[in-house]
Amino acid sequence: MMRLHPRVQLLWSLRALITAAVVGAFATVLNVFVFDRTMWLPVAVFLVVLAFGVGVAILRYRYWRYEVRNDSLYLERGVFTRVRTVVPFVRIQHVDSSRSPVERIAGLATTVVYTAGSRGADVTIPGLSASGSDELQERIKRLAIRAEGDDAV
Amino acid sequence: MKLSPLSVPYRVAQKAGSLLFSLVILFFTGVTGLQQALGAAGLLLAVGVLFAVGFALVGYEVAYYRHYEYELTNDTFDIRSGVFSRRTREIPLARIQNVDISRNVVQRFLDIAAVDFETAGGSETEAAIRYVSFEEAKRLQRDIGRRKRGDSEDDDESAKDETELLFALSDRELALVGLLSFDLRVPGIVAFVASSSVPILSSVIPSLSELTVLAVGGVLLAVGILLFSWVVGIVVAVLNYYDFRLSQTTGELRYERGLVQRYDGSIPFDKVQTLTIEENPLKRRFGYATLAIETAGYAPGQGGSYGSEAAIPLASVDRVLSLARDIDGFGEFDFRRPPKRIRRRYVGRYLIALGVVLAAFYGVNYALGGSYPWYVAAVALPVIPVAAHYKWKHRGYWLDDRHVVTRNGFWNRQTRVVPYHRIQTIIDSRTLFQRRWRVATVTVDTAGSRSLAARDAAAVDVDREVAGRLRSTLETRLRESLVARRREGVEDGDGGARKSEGTGTADDNPAHAADSVHSDSEHADDAGSPNDDDGPSTI
Repeated sequence: MMRLHPRVQLLWSLRALITAAVVGAFATVLNVFVFDRTMWLPVAVFLVVLAFGVGVAILRYRYWRYEVRNDSLYLERGVFTRVRTVVPFVRIQHVDSSRSPVERIAGLATTVVYTAGSRGADVTIPGLSASGSDELQERIKRLAIRAEGDDAV
Repeated sequence: MKLSPLSVPYRVAQKAGSLLFSLVILFFTGVTGLQQALGAAGLLLAVGVLFAVGFALVGYEVAYYRHYEYELTNDTFDIRSGVFSRRTREIPLARIQNVDISRNVVQRFLDIAAVDFETAGGSETEAAIRYVSFEEAKRLQRDIGRRKRGDSEDDDESAKDETELLFALSDRELALVGLLSFDLRVPGIVAFVASSSVPILSSVIPSLSELTVLAVGGVLLAVGILLFSWVVGIVVAVLNYYDFRLSQTTGELRYERGLVQRYDGSIPFDKVQTLTIEENPLKRRFGYATLAIETAGYAPGQGGSYGSEAAIPLASVDRVLSLARDIDGFGEFDFRRPPKRIRRRYVGRYLIALGVVLAAFYGVNYALGGSYPWYVAAVALPVIPVAAHYKWKHRGYWLDDRHVVTRNGFWNRQTRVVPYHRIQTIIDSRTLFQRRWRVATVTVDTAGSRSLAARDAAAVDVDREVAGRLRSTLETRLRESLVARRREGVEDGDGGARKSEGTGTADDNPAHAADSVHSDSEHADDAGSPNDDDGPSTI
C-alpha cells in the first residue's frame, strides 16, 4: 500500500488555517457589532477551528492509502467516514494529473481518475510528488489501455 | 438529408411567438416616438423596421434550413449545420444510447417531429434535430438501431421491423397510475401561497384565537396540499403516460407515451445499465410496481420529466418482474438482510428524530405562550420499534450468477438489478456510527443516468466482514463477466438480443465466489445469536 507524500499535511493544514482565519474574522465581526465582549472569544474560536482542522489533516494523511493492483486501483481513506474504493482498470475513461498554484508551490500534484459512473470524479489521489503523479498517471493509463474492453459503458 | 421544409414556418412561428411581446412593445413605443419626431413618415419607418425584423427572422430560418444537412453513414451520424459559424459533428453509431422522438400537438398536426440523440458522455443531448417529418424520424430511429447491429443494407425485407408488443398500459392502469402518484414538488408552492392566507382567515373568524386558527388551518392546509398534489399527480401522470406502450424489436426496446406531447424513444438492450423496481406501500398493498430502465444516456425526455421515462409506470408485480426478466434474465430474489442488531440502531435514530420533533413542538408552544399538548407527538413512540423492524426488513442484497441486486427503503422501496458487467466502481464506506455497529455500506456505481441523484445500488448496513468480501467478490465477478462477454462477442458476433445470452453465459460465470459471500452473510443473518448482541447499544 502506498502512502501520500507527507508534505500534503502541510497543504491541508494551510487550508485549515484559511478556514480558521475566515471563521475567526466572522467571529470578530460578530463580536464587535453584536456581542461586544472581550477579544478572547474570536481568538479562541480561531484556535479551536485551526486545531480541529490540523488534527483532521494529520489524521486524513494517516488513513490515506492507495494501491495499484493487477487489474484495479484501490483507495482507502476517510477520517470520519472510512471509504474504500475499487476502480477496475477496464472502467477507466481517462486520467488527469493536475496541479493547483498552491500545490505547485508545495511541489505536489493530484491525479484524478475518471470512469463513466457518476462518482467517477471522486477517484482523486491528492498529495503526490510531481514526478510521482506523472508516473502514476502514465502507469494507470498503460494499465487501462491493456485492460481495454469493447465499450467502457 | 435535409430538414422538413415545414420546419421553416414552424421555427419562424416559434421564434416570432417568443419575440412577439417585445416586438409589440417596441412597435408601439417606436411608433409614438417616431410619430412625434417625424410625423406620418415615422409610422412608415416603424412598419418598415417591423418588416425588416420579420424578414431577418424568415431569412435566418431559411438559411438555417438550407445549411442544415445530416447523413446517416454506416458507422457515424453526421450533422453539418450553422448559418454564421459552421459546425460539423460526427457521432459514432455505437456510442448512441437512445434515439428519442417527441411531438407536441402542433407538430403532430404538421406531421413533424423533434429527434434527440443521447450518448453517454456529457450532461446534454448530443444532437438535436429540430424538425423532420415523423416518418423520417422513425426511419432514423430504426436505421440507427439496425446499423448498430451491423446490418448495413436497407433490405426491404428487414425494413419491416419485427415489433413485438411487450406491454401496453390499459385505461384502468393509467387511472391507477394517476391515483397512486403524488406530485411532491407542488406542496412547497402551495404551502407558500396558502400560508399567507392565515392572517386573512383569522380576521374573517374573529371569535377564535389566532393560535386555534393556526392549528386548524395547518391541518386543513396539510389536507388541502395532499389533495392538490394528488390531483396534480393524476393530471401529470395521465398527460405523461397516456397510451403508454413498450415494444421490442431486434436488440432494442421502444416506448411510446404521452397525450399532449407524444414521446417515442428507443433503448438498446446492450446499453441497459440498471433495472429498478419501485413500490410504495400503496402499490405494495395492491400488488403493483413500477419499473425503470436506465441507460447511460441522459434520461430520455429530461425536460420537465418525471425521472426515467423509459419505464413501466405501473403494472402488477408479476408482470413487472416477468418483463424485467425478459430484458435481463435474473433469478428469483433471495435477499440477505443486514444483521438483526442493526434494528437497534434504527430505533435509536428514530428516537432522536422524535426527540427533535418534540423539542420543536415544545419550543413553538412555549414561544406562543399557549397550552397546547406539545407532547402528543409522543404517541409515535410505540411505532418506533415496528418502523425500525420494517426498515431492516426491506433492506438487503443478493447475488445471482450474473447480477447484484439490492433493495432499500420502506416507503419507496427500490429494488435495483445491476449486471456485473455494468459495475463501474465499488465503494465500501463506513461512517463513524456504522463503525460502532461494525457494519458498512457497499455502493455499486454504474453509469446509469439516474445515479446522478446518488441513487446507486447499495447494500446498506451489511456486516463489516461481509462488506469486505462483497467488495472483492464483485470485483472478481466484474472481471470474469467482462471476459466472458468478450469471448462470447468473438464467438457469435457481438450484439443481438440480450435474451439469448441469458442462458448462454450462466455456465461460464463462476458461482463459487458467490458462495463464500452467501454462506457468510447467512451466518450474519442468524443474528440474535449471543455474539451479535455484544455490540454497543449506543448509536
